[in-house]
Amino acid sequence: MMPNNKRSNVNTGQEKTLSRRKFMQMAGGGMALLTIPGANIFAREATRVTGDAKQAGRPKIVWVMLRGGLDSMHTIVPEFDPQYRKLRPNLSASFHSPLLPLARGFSLHPSLSTMHKWYQQKSLLPVVAVSSGYQERSHFDAQDFLESGLGNIDHDSGWLARAIAVNNQSALAVSRTVPISLRSAANVDTWFPSNLKDGDQSLYSALQDLYQYHPRMNESLQSGLKVKGLVDDDIVTRRQGNFMQLCKSAGQIMVADKGPDCVMLELGGWDTHNSQGNRLDRQLKQLDDGLATLQSTLGQQWQQTVVMIATEFGRTAKENGTAGTDHGTASGMFIAGGAVKGGRVLGSWPGLKTEQLLAGRDLMPTSNMFGWIGNVLAEHWQLSEQQIAQIFPHMKPYRESLIQKPA
Amino acid sequence: MSEQNMKTHSLNRALIATNRFGYGARQGEMQKAQRDPKGWVIGQLKTVEFDPSLPGSDEVLHAFYQYQQQQRKKKSNQNIDFGDDEIPKNFSRKTLQNASADGLIRSIQSSDSVSWRLLDFFSNHFSVTANNRLMAGLATTLEREAIAPNLIGRFEDMLLAITKHPAMLMYLNNERSFGPNSLAAKKRGKGLNENLAREILELHTLGVDGPYSQQDVIELAKGISGWSVKHPKREEGNGFVFRNYGHEPGKRTLLGRSYRQNGMSQGEQMLRDLATHPATAKHICRKLAFHFVSENPPKSLLDKMQQTWRETDGNIKSVMTTLFRADESWIAEPQKFKTPREFVISSYRAFGIREVKQNSFRYSLNNLGQQPFNANSPAGYSDKNEDWLGPSALMARIDWSAMVGGYQKWQKIEKILSTSLGSQVSQHTYNSVMRAESREQSIALFLMSPEFQWR
Repeated sequence: MMPNNKRSNVNTGQEKTLSRRKFMQMAGGGMALLTIPGANIFAREATRVTGDAKQAGRPKIVWVMLRGGLDSMHTIVPEFDPQYRKLRPNLSASFHSPLLPLARGFSLHPSLSTMHKWYQQKSLLPVVAVSSGYQERSHFDAQDFLESGLGNIDHDSGWLARAIAVNNQSALAVSRTVPISLRSAANVDTWFPSNLKDGDQSLYSALQDLYQYHPRMNESLQSGLKVKGLVDDDIVTRRQGNFMQLCKSAGQIMVADKGPDCVMLELGGWDTHNSQGNRLDRQLKQLDDGLATLQSTLGQQWQQTVVMIATEFGRTAKENGTAGTDHGTASGMFIAGGAVKGGRVLGSWPGLKTEQLLAGRDLMPTSNMFGWIGNVLAEHWQLSEQQIAQIFPHMKPYRESLIQKPA
Repeated sequence: MSEQNMKTHSLNRALIATNRFGYGARQGEMQKAQRDPKGWVIGQLKTVEFDPSLPGSDEVLHAFYQYQQQQRKKKSNQNIDFGDDEIPKNFSRKTLQNASADGLIRSIQSSDSVSWRLLDFFSNHFSVTANNRLMAGLATTLEREAIAPNLIGRFEDMLLAITKHPAMLMYLNNERSFGPNSLAAKKRGKGLNENLAREILELHTLGVDGPYSQQDVIELAKGISGWSVKHPKREEGNGFVFRNYGHEPGKRTLLGRSYRQNGMSQGEQMLRDLATHPATAKHICRKLAFHFVSENPPKSLLDKMQQTWRETDGNIKSVMTTLFRADESWIAEPQKFKTPREFVISSYRAFGIREVKQNSFRYSLNNLGQQPFNANSPAGYSDKNEDWLGPSALMARIDWSAMVGGYQKWQKIEKILSTSLGSQVSQHTYNSVMRAESREQSIALFLMSPEFQWR
């Protein structure tokens, strides 16, 4: 239902391509600060073999990066592992409602109801104990490493950029600048609504921490947060509003005429050194609501879409002294969408006994994200082995089939 | 957290030199200032230059008149075509935008940013507002034509240049102020307007607590009656004109001193005496110290500055040199919360940026509450910490920092910390910035850190 309606709303009159103005109206921002890099994918003539006719059915990819280090053990919970409750006596008791069961004794966090529905519909593949191969503990470097996808950091080349370049496809980053993931390709645009002015909650939290020894600024910040209505429950609504709005815009842009082949979204706020229970309740709800919005906005296109969600690293297996977790190594990732052969939990489980942990503290990685991503690209965009080798020179895709054969 | 981190951080002298007295350090400036902080600051007291292609007041006035004429003709004749001579509707607004951006970008690029701070101080001291189509263009010319040329000269010359400038005359309605006994008043029923005279006494010279009365306001208004702006239709050229037929005849008495009737020089002499009056010295020196040093400037500092003012007949460069030489000005604790203008300029200086889009400036300073040439008061923008530190002002600053963090996330944060603050931040701030969950957030936290916000 959605795509056709959407498109006729958007692309009225004689316009053959989606003009930037239309695009802005559709994406719904006051656009004073729109970044327009040289290449404008929306004005570009379609030169691909796929052509315009198949637009609605073209396989699309959404890449969602969770910045800050998602605690996978609080998201895809290893309830079956007897060590789990021992390592996390408080966190394991902090869930606000019953966990949502998956296969192999894993469960999803209760905030992830949409994702659980997808799992039951066989449209979701959670992957456990996965890493990018990065082995240190810096957020910045780990994010750069994950975005480069080369087994090292290259600020000028991202894996998604290389993936669209091999087939002359296009991408949009919902961001103010081009993220590393999309650097080095020609057909990349960025977009971010300038009316989305609220600094996100993780910045406010970081500032509250930063100002703890500066009473004057702290007092002002507290009043400011109150004035903005950003207190307690309100925060949740606002934040969801933000990510949901971005997901909605991203979906609308994707289904528009000559919309991009892939979109990158980012969501911060995962660096949960303290009060992790409450924070992840909200964070994951925000993620889940955003994804639900994305699905409904995509409409029929959802059936030809794969969403990949990953984070730079995981967190310590053991909870820390402030009801949180610290920087670790392996985490989880999600592969979702109508095109996915889902309903399974991927990745082998390394165990949580001290000797099974990396350096006695982190969940041990048992698979590499790029192996899974390479597999998705190969199957979903039908890229050849040589093309995948250009994207991930250091990593061969896994053999396991993750994508449904086109009907 | 250690005891030390809980105290307000103290600043070393290179940081004070660049941050308190300049617009924040660009790359390498901290090292230069380190060798001789006082000498580095004093050496920056230079004249400033603007983009010479910006239209001056003559051009702005001429264009405005032309535009009005053309609009009138168009009303009676729809088909009229002025070709290349047509004045675009947005001429004035464009001038405002270009001039606003020029001042900002030059402040960002300057290796003598102390001078730009001084220029901006006086531009705010003699604030004019772009409150209509003519003033939009004209307001920008005051600092270029009356302040900059006298920036390191005598306050007296600056005051005279200001009071004769069409931007000030028109902003405060003196161009239509005529003495009640002048020919103009008798023939055409025109009268006196005290607006400019009052602001000269209250804001520009003696200060609101100064030793003047309402009678002095009237006497000064009469003294400068007839100081006007040429009428483009009836007079040759544009700009300042003294209309003898609008000048109040007779002897005047201002602050107990009498001034003979001799045309324009009556008002000029009044202004010269006001400029060198001890109350003016006291007012301006305190305002300078309040801005550059602290909201509670030490009395010994004020005494030194006023003494220099007396000895040099109000030479601005000398007074500023005294301020910079005085140890009292180098208080180690941060004293002032940056104004939005200082915040934006110092941020871009820290990033080492050379080009900024006009739109981006306009957006920034509008949202942060300090749009150039738009204070909407002859008193200018507030220079008080509390006025910029309020909750909504702070939230706007956080939004701006988050946005800039998004654009500048590829900057190396360690390098910025070292460039801008000589890495002199508390362990707590350092950790917060370095351990931020993303590059964007680390830039935003740096910008919002107490160390960067206070000077």
